[in-house]
Amino acid sequence: MSTPMRGLTVFIADIRNCRVRELEEKRINKEMANIRAKFKDGNLNGYQKKKYVCKLLYMYILGWDIDFGHMEAVHLISSHKYSEKQIGYLAVTLLMHENSDLVRLVVNSIKKDLEENNEIFNCLALHAIANIGGREMAESLATDVHRLLISPASKGFVKKKAALTLLRMYRKHPDVIPAADWAERVIQLIDDLDLGVALCVTSLIMALAQDNLEAYLGCYEKAVDRLKKLVVEKEYSLDYVYYKVPIPWLQIKLLRLLQYYPPSDDERVRAKLHDVLQAILDLSQETPKNVQHNNAQNAVLFEAINLAIHLDTESQIVNQAAVLLGRFITSKETNVRYLGLETMAHLAACVDSLEPIKKHQDTILLSLRDKDISVRRRGLDLLYSMCDVTNAKAIVAELLRYLNIADYGLREEMVLKIAILTERFATEYQWYVDIILQLISTAGDHVGEEVWYRVVQIVTNNEELQEYAARTVLIHLRSVSCHESLVKVGGYILGEFGHLIANISGASALEQFHAIHSKFGSCTLQTRALLLTTYIKFVNLFPEIKGDILSVFNQYRHVLDAELQQRAAEYLAIATMPTDDLLQTVCEEMPPFPERESALLSRLHQQHSDTEDKRTWIIGGKDVNKERESLRMSSLITRNGSSDSKKTNGHLTTHNGSTSSNGGSTSSNGNINGSNGYGDVDLLGFGDLDLNSEITESPTTMTITSQRGVLPAGCITPGSEQWFGKLVYTTEGVIYEDTQILIRLKSEYHGHMGRIALYFTNKTQIKITSFTTVIEHIENVIITTPGPPSTIPLSGQIQQLFHIECHNTFTGSPNIRVSFIAGIPVYTIGLRLPVVIAKFIEPIELNGTDFFARWKQIGGGHREAQKVFKSTYPIDVVNGGIRKLVSGFRFGILEGVDPNPSNVVGASVLHTSKSGMIGCLMRLEPNVEAQMYRLTVRTTNEIVTQELCTLLEDRLTNDKL
Amino acid sequence: MIRFILVQNRQGKTRLSKWYVPYEDEEKIKLKGEVHRLVAPRDQKHQSNFVEFRNYKIVYRRYAGLFFCVCVDANDNELAYLEAIHFFVEVLDAFFGNVCELDLVFNFYKVYSILDEVFLAGEIEETSKNIVLTRLDHLDKLD
Repeated sequence: MSTPMRGLTVFIADIRNCRVRELEEKRINKEMANIRAKFKDGNLNGYQKKKYVCKLLYMYILGWDIDFGHMEAVHLISSHKYSEKQIGYLAVTLLMHENSDLVRLVVNSIKKDLEENNEIFNCLALHAIANIGGREMAESLATDVHRLLISPASKGFVKKKAALTLLRMYRKHPDVIPAADWAERVIQLIDDLDLGVALCVTSLIMALAQDNLEAYLGCYEKAVDRLKKLVVEKEYSLDYVYYKVPIPWLQIKLLRLLQYYPPSDDERVRAKLHDVLQAILDLSQETPKNVQHNNAQNAVLFEAINLAIHLDTESQIVNQAAVLLGRFITSKETNVRYLGLETMAHLAACVDSLEPIKKHQDTILLSLRDKDISVRRRGLDLLYSMCDVTNAKAIVAELLRYLNIADYGLREEMVLKIAILTERFATEYQWYVDIILQLISTAGDHVGEEVWYRVVQIVTNNEELQEYAARTVLIHLRSVSCHESLVKVGGYILGEFGHLIANISGASALEQFHAIHSKFGSCTLQTRALLLTTYIKFVNLFPEIKGDILSVFNQYRHVLDAELQQRAAEYLAIATMPTDDLLQTVCEEMPPFPERESALLSRLHQQHSDTEDKRTWIIGGKDVNKERESLRMSSLITRNGSSDSKKTNGHLTTHNGSTSSNGGSTSSNGNINGSNGYGDVDLLGFGDLDLNSEITESPTTMTITSQRGVLPAGCITPGSEQWFGKLVYTTEGVIYEDTQILIRLKSEYHGHMGRIALYFTNKTQIKITSFTTVIEHIENVIITTPGPPSTIPLSGQIQQLFHIECHNTFTGSPNIRVSFIAGIPVYTIGLRLPVVIAKFIEPIELNGTDFFARWKQIGGGHREAQKVFKSTYPIDVVNGGIRKLVSGFRFGILEGVDPNPSNVVGASVLHTSKSGMIGCLMRLEPNVEAQMYRLTVRTTNEIVTQELCTLLEDRLTNDKL
Repeated sequence: MIRFILVQNRQGKTRLSKWYVPYEDEEKIKLKGEVHRLVAPRDQKHQSNFVEFRNYKIVYRRYAGLFFCVCVDANDNELAYLEAIHFFVEVLDAFFGNVCELDLVFNFYKVYSILDEVFLAGEIEETSKNIVLTRLDHLDKLD
């Protein structure tokens, strides 16, 4: 037995006796100095090292910065004494981050300990990997860990730890683990006699199987058998009985694992599973007195109910469960009420008939007033899931009533849910308008932008709503306490549809204007900017009040805020033009918005996407869940992809939730990050005016939200670079092609503006669905696009248009991620879009003298880049390929400037919207014999110089011209 | 999966923290504070042992003056983790013989090795008290 470290105990006691922080700091500093000196001295024995490292760890735990001692910790790891090794590993796992450079130092020690014929050391090494294993460890140690897991010589402890260590590696770096290849050996271990091993292996399999359903199909029957042994046949080691329940954690894992698979077709297996579930349900008829026993039993019960719902919502077992749940939601125990509501929400999200649940509607509504916010949340989720056309009015009314007294933390989510329910189950348009406006006016501060955007979208798209909506907002605008969100909606709706009600008494043009303008002064700048836009629309709709409005514009021409000033000045100019042509074009009625996934829904789902194991169901009705389910199961319908592609696909589906939320962010409408400062409230799309006259669609700026895991951001499908290279200096061509899809690109650029059309052709034998594209933006390049259609018919083609604006100089190019479903779960392609700085260049003509004058003016130094490099292919100066490439880079080729006819000299101007124009000159000297080029670029901007030089060099080196 | 385990006293002093997801040190301090403020004021009698936290949930249980909290995914089985906490506490109790807060302070390095026998990689590893205690006993006797 190792000697206890007296020095450490004394030190800890000393620190605890420091009553004020200054004293503690003094004591810490003294100790640090002491330890530093000891370490510097060297010559410490293992015990001393261990003791000092422990003291450092204690200081670290107290929150002090520790910047030394790492090496001593690494030394301790190589000790042959367990107690020293353990402290060494502990120090490494506490002090080092998985991405720390120092981790590299310990990889070898860990490997040695893994290979050692000493299970204690094996275990310590496994702990270390499980705690801090990053990519490097995963890559160099995964096979060793796997060997320890499957080796018959390994002891139970080693197997358990090896299984969980692999789990950690797989979750972090799934590409390192050949999951499908390991399936057979790993599945066998569910049967291991040691229940601890079975538990750890089941955790591992659950993660692997989610992504590799087919490869791990064999685990289904094994899991059922294991459950049957535990629950029905009662075969287990007494060591594992936890308060009379045999290893509840393993039962739960197995029950969960089965929820990732569709119900078995095998009658035999189904019968066995039925026996298991029935046995679990029967046990729950009695409520044990002991808290632990009761909890353990219920933990298993709730998981069993979840599985039963998954298997068949109409089964006898689910009926029994529904009765139980009805009892649970009125239980005296808060935990039980909470879980009852949660599980009932699962049931509501999956069943065909909500009738049995509706019986409890009153109880559930009461749960909104529970003492525990956690229970209130579950109640809210359940109400949301159980809502349908028949009870929507009652539920929404109750939620609205409750909103006023709900916790602040809950309100935003409530608003979102009320808005979704109102939209989904509205049978009369008046009800929709009344409720949604009431919602905005009562919840005010908690109304996210998505909510009012959505209202505008729906009113615009439904003609029959417009008049009623205009009338109702006017009433709201007149009330004394009108929330600013409502002013925004009001401003937008009256601006578009005010004329529909202008003949009603009390709603004349002037009265509408006064109603809005009375709120103007108390609004934020953003809202005022939006209202100015409403006013210019009024000028178009109601010429009779032009005078009042012009005076507002006049007044705001002089305000300090640049955005308001600009709008006022521009609108005044438009309104006072000699003819109304421009005014009419600009203020034309908004066309319907394209159908998209509701931003509300994606916002809601986003909240539930961050989990390690996939969700087996989501809050919402059965349609949502059925679609999800079929999507997940479709991976079981075999595809002939290589194991490689399976891995990537599997990985992608892990983050299904986040993929769809990206699609969602695409659709938050009216988000124009154009040149105007308040882009996000400008639904008119004025930002687009200077590009082209067609304001046919309100463009959406795609933003990429957190891309957790789905192919790291910036990742490109291998092999796609070949097409990209060519498109850097051409305007159209194939940008990607494989067996599933063909993507062609056409582009045109004028000055700092450009347009790209992508044409997607379906090459599969089935319809492509869930089609989305996401741009990975780069700085200073603004790309806007209406979302693409979400499906591509069999052998059909769709197109998507992108507007591009170059704000300022930039390097590199944006990427686009294309995802869709065609049989296999989700197919994702990452491509570089050929939007490079050279695209915003316009050729110019110069004579020799002017050229040299400018060349000199720019001068050398940082503004010049020169490179000498070898071409992969022989250089041909005769066929004109080089000239074509240079003019493809949009340089004007200047003939007769260079005495050597083989040399190419070019001039051009780069256009940006913020930094204006930048002159660019270049000279290329080919050396045919040596197969070399010398390239010189001079521009007035260092970044542009470097970037153009690199782009040209890349193409000249790699392309056959 | 467990994202982190925290053991805190009523004043919010953290007596044990174990992170299964890499957080920066600053973030850890923030999380400790947030969890304490979320859990400590909750009513023992009328409120559940579960509370939502960011995109996750905290499953917690109070033993005398100490709160044992685990942060798990929103779709994880709450009661399973609640009993896992209790299991861990029983192991600590048996190992130290009527465990108290000070045991965790003075033997922090042992607590970590006990933790590694019960939870690993964010999952529960061993659930037999007998097996864990025999193992700990064996390790404690090693040089």
